[in-house]
Amino acid sequence: MSMTTQAELSRRDRLKTIRREAGRALGAALIALGIAFIIVLFTSKAPLEAFNVLLTAPMSRPRTIGLWIDDVAKLTITGLAFSLVFQARQFSMGVQGQVYVGALAAAYVALSPIGATWAGLPVGVFCAMLAGAFWGFIPGIAKVKFGANEIVSSLMLNYIAIELCNFLVRTNLPKPQPGVLTTNNFPETAVFPPLVDGTRIDLGLIFALVAVLAVWFALYRTSWGLKLRLVGHNANFAEYAGIRSTAIMVSAMTAAGALGGLLGSMFVQGQTYGYLTVLFEGNLAFEGILVAIVARSRPLAVPVVALFYGYLRQGAQLMNLRTDVPSEVIGVVTAIIILLVASSFSMPGRQFWARIMGRSAAAPALEAQK
Amino acid sequence: MIELLMTVLSTTFFVTVVRTTTPLLLATLGGLIADLGGALNVALEGMMLVGCLTAVIVSVFAPWYVAVLAAVLAGALLGGVMAFFHLRLKADIILVGFAINILAAGGTVFALTLATGGDKGTSINLTSKAVPALDLSFLGVIPGIGDFLVRMLSGHSILSWLAAFLVFAIWYFLYRTPWGLWLRGVGEYPAAPEAAGIPVNAIRTWSLLVSGGLAALGGAQLAMFNYIGFTRDMTAGRGFIALGAVLLGARHPVGALLAALLFGVFEALAVVMPGLFNWIPAELIRMIPFVVTILALFLFSYRALQARRLRSAGH
Amino acid sequence: MSALLEAIGIGKTYPGGVVANDGVNLSVNAGEVHAVVGENGAGKSTLMKILFGIEHADRGELRLDGKVVSFANPREAINSGIGMVFQHFSLVPSFSVYENVVLGSEPHAGIRFDRQKAIAAVRALSEKFRLSVDPLPPVGQLPVGQQQRVEILKALYRDARILILDEPTAVLAPQEVEELFVAVRALVEQGRTVIFIAHKLPEVLEISDRITVMRGGKTVGQVAARDVTEQSLATMMVGREVALRVDRASNDGAMACEIKALKVKSESGALLVDDLNLRVHAGEIVGLVGVEGNGQSELLEAIAGLRPIADGVAYLDGTSLSPLSVLERRARGLASIPEDRIARGLASGSSVAENLVATRLDDPRYVRNGLLDLKAIKANAEKLIERFSIRVGGPGAAVSTLSGGNMQKVVVARELSEQPRLLLVNQPTRGVDLGATQFIWKSLTQARDAGAAVLLSSADLSELLALSDRLVVFYRGRIVAAFLNSDTLTPETLGTYMLGIASQTPEEMQGGLR
Repeated sequence: MSMTTQAELSRRDRLKTIRREAGRALGAALIALGIAFIIVLFTSKAPLEAFNVLLTAPMSRPRTIGLWIDDVAKLTITGLAFSLVFQARQFSMGVQGQVYVGALAAAYVALSPIGATWAGLPVGVFCAMLAGAFWGFIPGIAKVKFGANEIVSSLMLNYIAIELCNFLVRTNLPKPQPGVLTTNNFPETAVFPPLVDGTRIDLGLIFALVAVLAVWFALYRTSWGLKLRLVGHNANFAEYAGIRSTAIMVSAMTAAGALGGLLGSMFVQGQTYGYLTVLFEGNLAFEGILVAIVARSRPLAVPVVALFYGYLRQGAQLMNLRTDVPSEVIGVVTAIIILLVASSFSMPGRQFWARIMGRSAAAPALEAQK
Repeated sequence: MIELLMTVLSTTFFVTVVRTTTPLLLATLGGLIADLGGALNVALEGMMLVGCLTAVIVSVFAPWYVAVLAAVLAGALLGGVMAFFHLRLKADIILVGFAINILAAGGTVFALTLATGGDKGTSINLTSKAVPALDLSFLGVIPGIGDFLVRMLSGHSILSWLAAFLVFAIWYFLYRTPWGLWLRGVGEYPAAPEAAGIPVNAIRTWSLLVSGGLAALGGAQLAMFNYIGFTRDMTAGRGFIALGAVLLGARHPVGALLAALLFGVFEALAVVMPGLFNWIPAELIRMIPFVVTILALFLFSYRALQARRLRSAGH
Repeated sequence: MSALLEAIGIGKTYPGGVVANDGVNLSVNAGEVHAVVGENGAGKSTLMKILFGIEHADRGELRLDGKVVSFANPREAINSGIGMVFQHFSLVPSFSVYENVVLGSEPHAGIRFDRQKAIAAVRALSEKFRLSVDPLPPVGQLPVGQQQRVEILKALYRDARILILDEPTAVLAPQEVEELFVAVRALVEQGRTVIFIAHKLPEVLEISDRITVMRGGKTVGQVAARDVTEQSLATMMVGREVALRVDRASNDGAMACEIKALKVKSESGALLVDDLNLRVHAGEIVGLVGVEGNGQSELLEAIAGLRPIADGVAYLDGTSLSPLSVLERRARGLASIPEDRIARGLASGSSVAENLVATRLDDPRYVRNGLLDLKAIKANAEKLIERFSIRVGGPGAAVSTLSGGNMQKVVVARELSEQPRLLLVNQPTRGVDLGATQFIWKSLTQARDAGAAVLLSSADLSELLALSDRLVVFYRGRIVAAFLNSDTLTPETLGTYMLGIASQTPEEMQGGLR
């Protein structure tokens, strides 16, 4: 077989995989939306209108398009952070906490004398990433040095970070008047400039695109990335091959933490806020799980998934405002999509239904838990 | 400091500890059952939350025990969903668990909006019921210690007594009945029970059903005794703390009890401290259970690791 | 006499399209020892899984006592009186012997598990069938031979009339095999029927009454044991004459690896390798003989850097290995083919090219300034795929899509892509088809002839005798005997030492230890 046909074959294979995965994701989304529609049908007074808002409202005005694109940028970053740790087969759930400590760091920089200079923006972003990286590093190093389960420790750090943010905003950071739970507005020099005037689309979008390329490059073009993926596939093998899997795990969680910190700075230094307040992220950080799972932890697929999911998310917010259906219904959609995409559900359906209907005689010995 | 010591040694503090420990203990036992069956149940949080809401809503229309039962069934249903996607459709148990958490976080608020006709986030307009406390004041007739006994033992939720009984019942089940042997075998080395003709997947499904039911029972205690009513995210990480307790509990019900008690004591401290030290910021007090959990996890994991290393390193 | 158990025209195709059974017939009479023989991959295990209800036949039928039966799961097979002892034991390590025996059919009083009754039942069974084993200790602490007895007791406890033993001798020393055969004969005397899966022909001829031969998923024939010879049986199995012989080393190299007073401990603190001394020279293969679990694997892992050395030293070309990382050891010319290719030797979700370069991620040919040279990595993969004739779609294919033999070739290709100084080999051909086995043996001897010092561990004595220039026998973490390989060295001689029945004096060992 000549080289060219082989390359051709592998390209065709890859296309086929992409088409299959995209089909699965779309199928899952359709099923989830179908279920959501049935729920809305039974609970809303004007179900068709509610669904109409959900599916069309984000596109209706430049302002809502701006909200959508802003969400896409943020979902992309959290999706990338989860993709990194998932590729190393770690289950660090700490993006939320990293967002809060990142935002805190950015706020301290922005409200310091540096904030009022040209350096306010870059130093703020950098310090946010540093803080996030540190927050991501803790569960990693604790897993490696103590054997502490990273799921639990990263979740605990989320709660700690949220309370820390509440505490510092209330007591320490400068604020316009006593009693409010927001800080002073950041000086203009520390706030991301808008890319499209009158919308929330700002420098954060550029950061997101750069981050996609950077994570893709790191994973598929550097030896660190190859080591990380090998550790993710089989940590025992990595150790045998002389790869220091513990160092890779910690570095993956730390790098993901830096992304989480970046997201924190994108929130508070972005056009959306321009100041720090409590509980600002609206649970967006955790939705990176969905983005990463549907994207199969592939960095180049992450923004595409974020585009679709961000649309749905924005639609739900608008539906919440304009109709009697609360936005939380989107949680149901999210959960169903994760369940379907993470399982062996497949679009053609026949095998899927065969599985559901019985024939459970798979060898369970093979999937012994860790 | 003296005040704190006095408070901690008082019988009222003991009562508080029992109250804060009960939901944690029930969820931890749920996590233990799943863990022994070979599945790390990260969905305890979501299951508790659904238990809270179900208990509150059903208690509006039905007696308290029906509400508690409904909560248990709702939790078991979520366990069933996990089992279906994990065992039948081969999805990763941790991802499935987080999907359940997301479903619970959004779904409870959504369902509450429907139930209250628009209120988002609290059930303040619903008249939900409480789990009754068990009155043991008749113990007061015992001379000498009677009064002390009443103060220690009377007034706990019925579910607290149930939780204590469940520690024993689960121990008995695990180590004294054949089915406990099956469950432990399935978790440790599934090929063995499989070859012995034990329906491994059925056992795993049951363990997840029971796990969900117990976690939701913890939620019922939370929403029908510790607090009366539902607020969004009212579990506030208790399910995750319970998960930490599962890891600390050394795969044994008594270990689970001790771990849950540890975290319960600190949650109780967080309850009584604002009254004693109003100079300590509330945020830092609220942080205590999480900080304690993470420190305990580090310490316990480190000790277990050290013990393993010592044995293999020679010298 | 009609058959007790019959399989007629059994067909089974796995979802991946692998045809495991294609019109298989088997007829087993009551009270006989019936052997099913065939190469690895002939479909024996699939047939047994179908008999036991683990897999389900696509075609054909099973008859028990002349009646058509089908087993949806093992439980139904067990209830019909069929018991199975797997090659890989199905025992829960932390459970005691009696708990393992009764698991799934516990005696109970009310809801309580009646432990005393269980212990008594196990004692009674082990006396009746001459399978002596203490019911109380945890199974994980028992030697392999005893674990196997626990497995047999498990089946007998469930009143198995028909006992299927899947390659029962693979993990046993020759003398333990004899003990097993005593038990098998006791079973038959008491009216039980035994189906014996094997590929070691002398054993098959010794124990069985009748033999069914399988090849490539089909039954080739059924013969009476007294009517055939080893040679004719082998020809039936393989379909052609086979000769697996390998040339011995001719050269006498310099010492490459020296192990002095080495100790290795388990996680629970037990000594696995105890005060071990061994020298390996360039250009020779030293075979590590021993029943599995006597320290051979642990020795190899400690040298490779995957296990801490508790005490003592291992030198490679005069440098102590203990302070070196895995990568530093590899840089000094150490290569290793691990026992379990899927758990240890490969990242099966990754591509073949990535697996082939995984041990060289600090090599400037493939990685410069932390960046991968994708062209060089691909070229390396294409070269090795060609050289080791690995059957694969291309360098980008995931390893998980390969067959067992081709997976093992990927491991061998990576480890031998550059000539090693010291090569550690553990179970190189386990679960590998005959063609790949021959290829791997040739690769190993080529590496030796090019000057590698080779330490080889294998559960297959014939493999060790075929490849090794010297052999050392392990018993409980110590070397108890050492031999220069010769045609006069027999498995039986080695077996005496493998079981610790005899051990050589230091003087006797001198010759074999060099």
